[in-house]
Amino acid sequence: MLPILLAFATATLPAISLPADGPLAIRAKFVWTGGGRVLENATVVISGGRIQAVGTDIAIPEGAELIEHDGYLTAGMIALHGATGAVGETQDSTRTVMPEARVGLALDGRARDFGLLRDAGITSILVTPDASGVTGGTSALVKTLDGIVLRDPAHLSLVFSTDALSSNREPTSKSGALALLNALFTEPRGVAAEARSGKLPCLFEVREREDVGRALAFAAEHELVGTLHGAWLSGEMSGAIAKSGLSVIVPVLGVGTPKRVLDAVARLEKDGIVFGFGLDAPWNHADAMRFSAALCVRAGLGRQAAWQGLTANAAKIAGAAARTGRIERGLDADLCLWSGDPLDLASRASLVIIGGQPVSMNGAASAAKESQR
Amino acid sequence: MHTNVGWLALVLAAGSAGAQEAAMPARETILVRAEHVIVRPGHVLDGAQVLVRDGRIVAVGTDLEAPEGARVIEGRWVCAGFIDPWSALGVGGDSIGEANATAATRTVDGLDPFNLDHLRREALRAGVTSARVQLGPQARIGGLGAVVRLAPGLAHEEFVVSDASNLWMTAGLSQPTGGQFIQASEGVQVQGPERTPDPFDRAEAVDRIVSLLQAGKNYLIAQNEHRHELEDWTKKIAEKDAELDKEFKKAKKDREKAQKDAEEKGKKFEEKKFKDEKKPQAPRFDEDNEVLARAIDGRIPLLVGAERAAEIRALLAGTKELGRLRLVIAGGSEAGSKAAELAERRIPVLVWPMPLGRVRPDELDGHDLSLAGRLASAGVQILLGSGGRDPAATRDLPLLAGLAIAHGLSRDDALEAVTIGAARALDVADRIGSIEAGKDADLIVLDGPPLETTTNVRFTISSGRVVVTPEN
Repeated sequence: MLPILLAFATATLPAISLPADGPLAIRAKFVWTGGGRVLENATVVISGGRIQAVGTDIAIPEGAELIEHDGYLTAGMIALHGATGAVGETQDSTRTVMPEARVGLALDGRARDFGLLRDAGITSILVTPDASGVTGGTSALVKTLDGIVLRDPAHLSLVFSTDALSSNREPTSKSGALALLNALFTEPRGVAAEARSGKLPCLFEVREREDVGRALAFAAEHELVGTLHGAWLSGEMSGAIAKSGLSVIVPVLGVGTPKRVLDAVARLEKDGIVFGFGLDAPWNHADAMRFSAALCVRAGLGRQAAWQGLTANAAKIAGAAARTGRIERGLDADLCLWSGDPLDLASRASLVIIGGQPVSMNGAASAAKESQR
Repeated sequence: MHTNVGWLALVLAAGSAGAQEAAMPARETILVRAEHVIVRPGHVLDGAQVLVRDGRIVAVGTDLEAPEGARVIEGRWVCAGFIDPWSALGVGGDSIGEANATAATRTVDGLDPFNLDHLRREALRAGVTSARVQLGPQARIGGLGAVVRLAPGLAHEEFVVSDASNLWMTAGLSQPTGGQFIQASEGVQVQGPERTPDPFDRAEAVDRIVSLLQAGKNYLIAQNEHRHELEDWTKKIAEKDAELDKEFKKAKKDREKAQKDAEEKGKKFEEKKFKDEKKPQAPRFDEDNEVLARAIDGRIPLLVGAERAAEIRALLAGTKELGRLRLVIAGGSEAGSKAAELAERRIPVLVWPMPLGRVRPDELDGHDLSLAGRLASAGVQILLGSGGRDPAATRDLPLLAGLAIAHGLSRDDALEAVTIGAARALDVADRIGSIEAGKDADLIVLDGPPLETTTNVRFTISSGRVVVTPEN
């Protein structure tokens, strides 16, 4: 009992150990399940790292720790683009076509930067190859604790933007880049063959709308599935994207992002496109992703759509919807308690739980009370 | 058909300037009714009304009726329009990049009331009605800042709330854009280094600020001495005049006698002379020192952009003896270690609560969103601004304030920072920053509590004009 109370009163602490084996119950004023349901005064029961039950009339198991929270409980957020734990390992300045490179193998799961993500309520991150070549290989979805792998490889990265180009090595033009990409899928082998068969989704790196157009054409030609990342205005092509069946990762939208860009994100929702949010951690602040979503909400994006983009739909895009992103029986207990409305930037993650283990708590958690049954 | 053509011709004849003026809503008599009126943070009236007439707030109360013909606006929450005390919206790019300003250079001379209309409208929609703008924000000296209204197309008197809200300098930015330090005593101009400053350059930058202030102080002392000398001199001359008047007859007799004696003795008569009373000379007028003297005397605040602990420490040490100086630290990433002294000396810190990742200039190494909260709990007055780098950022001031709240600043402190606190620090609290009778009518009507991300602004009133409505 006492250690837990102390932990709540302290500002920030590294991972503490609650009984990871014993059951834990969290009763919160509002529970956003991520499946579109908002439950009031609901309880979530966790044991063995998994969610065992969720509902408003759940019996709390004998001997379970109980956390009562006068705020919001949601699934942990999933950042869809970044290099946390693999900084310096995601790019190769000389080779431009290296589909077999696996970011997952280069990852340091204990990098300090993961702590910043956990504190912000982010429980998983899609670590992606750098876009500085034609393909930097495959991405990996990992939890922000101990480098637990959810999916590796998660996507094959294909770069359609000028980022792939260089003045001192090939390709030097977008046409040249496309020629190299086409070569990769002519009699494809290895991960390219997996992508071609639809087993491995692709991560289409784009910036301009013309990149989006070429990526869509490429996907159609080679029958590829996956997600587009990096184009601020991709929403202005939402009709074509909807037809392609691809999803979209909205890149980080910083302070002062033009209204036109925010309006474009709202169009993704209108046209029924599955979208999530990128972060590009550690280059950006861990709060920047929720900031992006908040900006969009202020400009007219639906609250529900924004939150799904940070959680459930992000899990879908990363290929881990069966493991994380929602509060549902059987899923990993990757959860976040918030001091207030999670879409209000003034709210803060007061307790973060990954795989059933409380890993991060901030000062605001003092509002949370717990007692033993 | 005829009427249509006539109307069209009129519009065409009016031209773009006419269209601009037509777009500016007129001042109205308005009664705002709300469930909660935040007079200022910590003072909330429930079920209250605010009466606006001729651009001013004429009454705030709980039993006000709408005068005949008044427009009635209803809402849930009302508070003063937000002030961004660190903005780049309203000045041209030439002013932002200014590298050759001196203390007396005025931002108000470079204001552009017409640029970036769309950004101004977005800022108004977010509830930000005024901003402090500054030429040369990255320069070592930026000169005099100004507080302006953001509503586009206002006439100068309404547009400019203060034409000299502060003096601005920076110390230790990694990429300063120049800005001249004037060694006033010698009249020598020294151009700053073009390379990225090393620690010695940064120390020198603070030294130069301190010696500039010293020069301003000497100027002020010389001015004061001159004033006293002049008073003494004027008094002395008056005394002599009075003496002459009083003893005029005696003096005349004495003179005649002396003249006669001289003649009798065959000597040359010499007129008695008064000792010359030289009029004291005024110190040589210097416009930069005039401004520095005003800052030294506390008549305008001095804002210094400084991030690192070393610069802040040196700045505090160098200004300790300047008791009337109203210093404000802008940025202050590493001000935490000096929180006690800042609190004791009542030096506010203008914080930029920007979510910065690993990509950041060197001087922002210590930047952290918890800064505002940490300083406030140590008793330091906090101001919040959008950073003065990007004109588009002013729109997002309420979101940045939200981040500061999430990281430890209280909601009241945050609201104060972007309303009355900012107004006080910039000497415009008699005009804007709270909802009190006699102040300018700059207020916002919201559908929820201010500074919550999910709250929307329904009406924005600036200088008595309804510039944002749910329809526009």
